[in-house]
Amino acid sequence: MRAALAVALAAALAVALAAAAAHGNGPVAFEPAEVRRIVGHGPWPQPVLPDRSNRVAGDAQAIALGRRLFFDPRLSANGAIACSTCHVPSLAWTDGRTRANGLAALDRNTPSVVNAGLGRWFGWDGGADTIWAQGLRAMLDPREMGASPALVAGAIRGDEALACLHDAAFGAGAVRRDDRQVMVDASKAIAAFVATQTSGRTPFDDFRDALGRGDRAAAARYPAAAQRGARIFVGKGNCSVCHFGPAFTNGEFHDVGVPYLLPGGRVDEGRHGGIKRLRADPFNLLGTYSDDASGASATRTRHVEMQHANFGQFKVPSLRNVALTAPYMHDGRFATLSDVVRHYSELDMERIHAHGEQLLRPLRLTPGESADLVAFLESLSDPRGREEPGALRPVEGCGR
Amino acid sequence: MIAARRLAALALASAAALPAPAAAQCDGPGRKVESERLVVVYRTVPAKVAVGQHFAVEARVCAKGAGAAPTALRVDADMPAHRHGMNYRAKVSAKGDGRYVAEGLLFHMPGRWRFVFDVDAGGRTERLAADLDLE
Repeated sequence: MRAALAVALAAALAVALAAAAAHGNGPVAFEPAEVRRIVGHGPWPQPVLPDRSNRVAGDAQAIALGRRLFFDPRLSANGAIACSTCHVPSLAWTDGRTRANGLAALDRNTPSVVNAGLGRWFGWDGGADTIWAQGLRAMLDPREMGASPALVAGAIRGDEALACLHDAAFGAGAVRRDDRQVMVDASKAIAAFVATQTSGRTPFDDFRDALGRGDRAAAARYPAAAQRGARIFVGKGNCSVCHFGPAFTNGEFHDVGVPYLLPGGRVDEGRHGGIKRLRADPFNLLGTYSDDASGASATRTRHVEMQHANFGQFKVPSLRNVALTAPYMHDGRFATLSDVVRHYSELDMERIHAHGEQLLRPLRLTPGESADLVAFLESLSDPRGREEPGALRPVEGCGR
Repeated sequence: MIAARRLAALALASAAALPAPAAAQCDGPGRKVESERLVVVYRTVPAKVAVGQHFAVEARVCAKGAGAAPTALRVDADMPAHRHGMNYRAKVSAKGDGRYVAEGLLFHMPGRWRFVFDVDAGGRTERLAADLDLE
């Protein structure tokens, strides 16, 4: 009887150990290839290179002007909507809503502006090739801020302090240029400010650095579940192929099986529509408003190719601060990271407009693996990512 | 997919005006890919290709032996395992003497990419390919 019990207990222990080995309960012994992939998600922070198309990128006075304009609702048709209406600092510069609301309801979720300075394309469809062009879109879109060049220029000229700041940033008399130029310059100032918004270090970054220098003790402080999630992220999950590099995005566009049908029988074309909009945009990098005389920064715009596969593709979002920026996907359909992981685990291949592409497959994660992947994703957020920006500093000679 | 596009990437160089060099002249620095009739020597600029960064390809195309001189080159790339190409179209410029520069390439994922060189020579188009592993 005792012998039978002992055998049964040993068998149960073996099953438990096998399950523990499969799911893992402790720190992960990463393979060298896994370490290389994990280390590839850093270092952090990354330097934000000045946008050569924006002559005031990095300029302190332009940043000061841009910050004031970002929070100024006078740049909208009804005087009630500012950039910060949707990009709320205390919500990690998103709005927490499923889909954005400007002067009218919009079809897409509000992305955060944090780390935008590291981007190549802007908006879910990449219809803008600079932050300042994206800002102009928001200002002029009748569903967002519904402004006009005259309205924006008038708002700046009509405020003594803003006009002073504008001239300080763009040169004496700049505020008296034509309305369109003043509006473009205003958006460049806003872009200069936005580019300063970068996320801070995260628990993952500490783990990544420790792993990279072979410091096991420091690496072990990273939660075991997150370590197992990291292994899935760079391995079985294949997530890091698109959520690549330090910003956890390759900056490009993919169809991940999220429906693009809209109410009223409309369709969100995604990247396909974005490239059309980009090419028609007078404010793109090939246009006369770019300050990059060399044209080097326009390489992406010059060479981007419209493909049928672009239909229904949306930008791969950065995962930095992802735990702070719910809801998720281009239409905000998922409330939690668990929902997102479930989407990829149970991916409906019928919904993917793949054109023969063989990249995504249902991950078929166990409940434990899903929880681990969520733990990893949660570790990518800056603990200070919801802090308000510091106090405004007055600009010398401009009153405030 | 690649064959269906890229007409705009065509760079024509007159065979009469710019005779392509013999294969021996394709012995310079760079990676070499060859077929029975042709040699392509190429290098990327910058030398190290990074995911998400635009780069260019400098190539020299040569005929082997008494083979017909190459008259044009098109450059593209894809990821065979994923069955997709680039999101950008390279523009190829002929620089004379069988030399070409392809600009605007960008590899947007890690993994195995394949450079595809379509060379026009003697009224035919021949495809040469070379892999590049990107981490």
